[in-house]
Amino acid sequence: MKGLRMAWRFGWREGVSGELTLLVLALLLAVCATSSVAFFADRVRQGLVLRANQLMAADMVINADTPLPPALADEARRNGLQVSGSVTFPSMAMAAGPVALASLRAVPGNYPLRGDMRIGLADGRVRQGALRPGPGEAWADPRLMTRLSVRLGDTIEIGQRRLRLTAVLLREPDSALDTFALMPRLLFNQTDLGATGLMGPGARAQWRLMVSGPLAAVNAWGRAIAPRLPAGARIENVEEARPELRNAMDRVRRFLGLTAMLTVTLAAGAMVLAVRRYVARHWQSVAVLRCLGATQRELATVFTLLFAVLGLASGALGAGLGYALQEALTRMAIPDARDALPPPAAWLFALGPVTAWVLLCGLALPALAALYRVPPWAALRDEWTPRSVSMGLPPLAILALVALSLWQVGDWRLAGWLFAGLCGYFLLAGLAAWGMVRGTRRLAHGGGAIGWRFGVAALARRPWLAVLQVVGLSMGLLALLTLTVVRTDLLDTWRRGVPVDAPNQFVINLQPDQVPAVDAAFATAGLPPPALSPIARGRLVAINGLPVRPAQFAPGEAQRLAAREFNLSWRDDLPPANQLAAGRWWTAGASGEFSVEQGLAQKLAIRLGDRLAFDVAGSRLAGRVTSLRTVAWDSFRVNFFVLMPRTMLAGRETSLVTSFYLPPARRVFADLLVRRFPNLTVIDVTAVLEQLRAVIDRLAQTVEALFLLTLAAGVLVLWTALSATGDERLRDAGLMRALGASRRQLRTVMMAELLWLGAFTGLLAGAGAMALGGLAGWKLFDLPFALDGRLPFLGLLCGVVLVPLAGWPLLRRVLRQSPLSTLRAR
Amino acid sequence: MHVARHILFQHETIPILHDVCLDVYQGDSVAIVGVSGSGKSTLLSLLAGLDLPSAGTVSLFDQPLAALDEDGRALLRRRHVGFVFQNFQLMPQLSALENVMLPLELAGTPRARDLARAMLERVGLGERMRHYPRLLSGGEQQRVALARAFVGRPALLFADEPTGNLDPASGAQVIDLLFELNREQGTALVLVTHDADLAARCRSVYRLSQGRLQADPR
Repeated sequence: MKGLRMAWRFGWREGVSGELTLLVLALLLAVCATSSVAFFADRVRQGLVLRANQLMAADMVINADTPLPPALADEARRNGLQVSGSVTFPSMAMAAGPVALASLRAVPGNYPLRGDMRIGLADGRVRQGALRPGPGEAWADPRLMTRLSVRLGDTIEIGQRRLRLTAVLLREPDSALDTFALMPRLLFNQTDLGATGLMGPGARAQWRLMVSGPLAAVNAWGRAIAPRLPAGARIENVEEARPELRNAMDRVRRFLGLTAMLTVTLAAGAMVLAVRRYVARHWQSVAVLRCLGATQRELATVFTLLFAVLGLASGALGAGLGYALQEALTRMAIPDARDALPPPAAWLFALGPVTAWVLLCGLALPALAALYRVPPWAALRDEWTPRSVSMGLPPLAILALVALSLWQVGDWRLAGWLFAGLCGYFLLAGLAAWGMVRGTRRLAHGGGAIGWRFGVAALARRPWLAVLQVVGLSMGLLALLTLTVVRTDLLDTWRRGVPVDAPNQFVINLQPDQVPAVDAAFATAGLPPPALSPIARGRLVAINGLPVRPAQFAPGEAQRLAAREFNLSWRDDLPPANQLAAGRWWTAGASGEFSVEQGLAQKLAIRLGDRLAFDVAGSRLAGRVTSLRTVAWDSFRVNFFVLMPRTMLAGRETSLVTSFYLPPARRVFADLLVRRFPNLTVIDVTAVLEQLRAVIDRLAQTVEALFLLTLAAGVLVLWTALSATGDERLRDAGLMRALGASRRQLRTVMMAELLWLGAFTGLLAGAGAMALGGLAGWKLFDLPFALDGRLPFLGLLCGVVLVPLAGWPLLRRVLRQSPLSTLRAR
Repeated sequence: MHVARHILFQHETIPILHDVCLDVYQGDSVAIVGVSGSGKSTLLSLLAGLDLPSAGTVSLFDQPLAALDEDGRALLRRRHVGFVFQNFQLMPQLSALENVMLPLELAGTPRARDLARAMLERVGLGERMRHYPRLLSGGEQQRVALARAFVGRPALLFADEPTGNLDPASGAQVIDLLFELNREQGTALVLVTHDADLAARCRSVYRLSQGRLQADPR
């Protein structure tokens, strides 16, 4: 009780007097950074699941090339789940005049189970909800209406059935699964399907079984039926359908995790300095308390209670701030879904106080333990030096922080790189600082102007403090440089990944004999000639002579990849947006070689040197894997999983594919192309591109918002590093004033020290930022490792400007204080 | 007490005190004088149990200090000992009143606030109770320190150069107050000082020279 009362009194007084401000700020920053990222990542994950379900029009979807056995749906119904479905197939749609190929989809009366349909009505209204066409009705994609030259109310003929066009289909809930749907959609009621006569034997269609209900029941059903799915059937995964969005989300999560890790490291650095200052300012008071009869245990109770409450309060407040920041981040990242998102998991609210306690126990307690050990005689003789008691806690705290960061970054290797980089930086900066202090000791004893000599001597006189200060200051400057220069470069690189003129139109099914005419059409329209790639469909049938059976691979994506047909192509050179990850590119005239996309190779356990065989239209195509490639799928160029030399596909029947950028004002060119070459399919991905670009922009904003916290932590480190020596400086200045030093001389001495410190730490930080930027670009953005030689000079400049600027308030305090008051305080 | 104290410096033993013998009884006032570096503060540390001798024994209230651990000695000080320091040693983050309450709170004395208030009134600082040390003059700070030292009615008070940081006028005021309180409470007083006038006000004076303590002829 007594301890609690004293802890309260100390805490209250010190809180009011600002003694704990730096410490609390450091804790708040660390907790706010970790909490906000944890909350944000959790809500984005939940949001993705939620949106995924809405985008699939159900909670789980089974896709198949053949009608699915009714037993699967029956089993779902028995388990209390709702069941729906759809049949999608390509067919010609006819109106009074033109004919167009369309993707027809027949849906039952309870479609969709999740998400909204959006349609335009004849009176111009737009309706949204769980809607579907009634019997005898059809809803058409605007592209199809243009091609057929029809309006609402007209009749469309599909097979032997005539349907009345009652709405314009603006958005389907399961569009995510059909992002690259080649043909415009015509939606109609399933009761009309039989009457079309199009579902005869051998009809090519895609059957979907859709299920929804309580998540656990849906998952249980999915697990139960997975082994019994017929060949060609698979459980749909929306993330796989939209890899570019998942990539962006993954990248931002990693980026945010790394930012949080950097913030926590900086805040930890600020805390170490702040606690050191706290101990330096309190040991004499503690010695007096010991003289007055306070026992070690009582003192330990007082300080432990004080800091435990501090940890709890800062943790709770930091978590609150983190939640608010997360709200802002979520608003930026996914504005339309924010209100629909469930709150973050409750246990994440404990993360803040736990982070604060880990930091306090690991970094503050060892230093504070020195306070409990202050001998009572220190009150009489000013000879005692506080020494941290290790207690093995700092390594434990560092380990805990590393584990926390790894969990947040979600990528052990990447976090490991950053952590190793930071450790290496601390070590090198510490060594360099030690060398500098040794060097300045010689300089200080040499001749030269008084300002320079005394300023530099001040560093040499407190070697360990100088080292700590150099490391702390350079850490702060490193953060500032990384966040202002390196960050801008990296985020720009990310944004450039989807350039403004990224291809937004894909043309497929182009026949080789049409190339001159298509080229001419492009030229007439003032567009550059399209870069054409031949395309052939082939199924992987053997790896190293052993037949490929989907069942031999891990369930999920690998099995699906093994079962599907790939788009194969030939090329003489490495395509743009591709990089060689292993092996070598083939030379002209080569044959029997394959280049495989690295992700595919990993999933199907294909290694460099393996022999592959593909079945292309009934004939076998064999060769050895001579290279693995990484492909920037979000470049929106035509990309292929498997490439081979020209000789291997020569003479075979292939069609051609191309992508090109069509400025929005010239959209009509796509329609003209289709009218002139009716066999061509032109796919407009403008909407997808715009969506991706908007997502990346928003995600980049969230990263920038979190960077502000890191920036604040960097400034805090700068400030604490200078404050740590504030009292010593005040005393030294008081003494010098008493000995007759003018204000001008004092200013020169302190400016000399700050300038020297700034130049050295700036140079160190610049070199560190150069290495960090190179590493981040290499590991985060897959850029070639490159060092920006400007950074050390920029660091030097920042150091000589920022460090004296940050030290200015302290300098003013020193100059204003009367020598008597400083000396009396000794 | 009967003690010796030496320190080890770079493997060399440097003697500070040789065979020092001193007895202090209730109501006594003892001054220890000596030049700077003669070991006065070291002797005070040993007497108060702030430090332990290299050889010999120190007993406080018939209790040998060597038999007590660090916390045991702290409890003994809490119950029986008061301190006045040369540089006041007030807690900068506590007000004058809170500084005076501190020893009472440590000892768990009830009505600590009332007692501290009364003591501050006694030393003439009734109007400055809520002020922080930085707002007080040197003389006022030392009067707060006196209030803190006497508020627990200690049986023994140690004062280390109590006027060392004060101007003559403030110093005289503080010393008058110190002896008044000493008389009022019947406290035994051990005073370390350079000031011959101050030493002369004590019942007995000892001189510490070259590590040896000798009674000063009056």
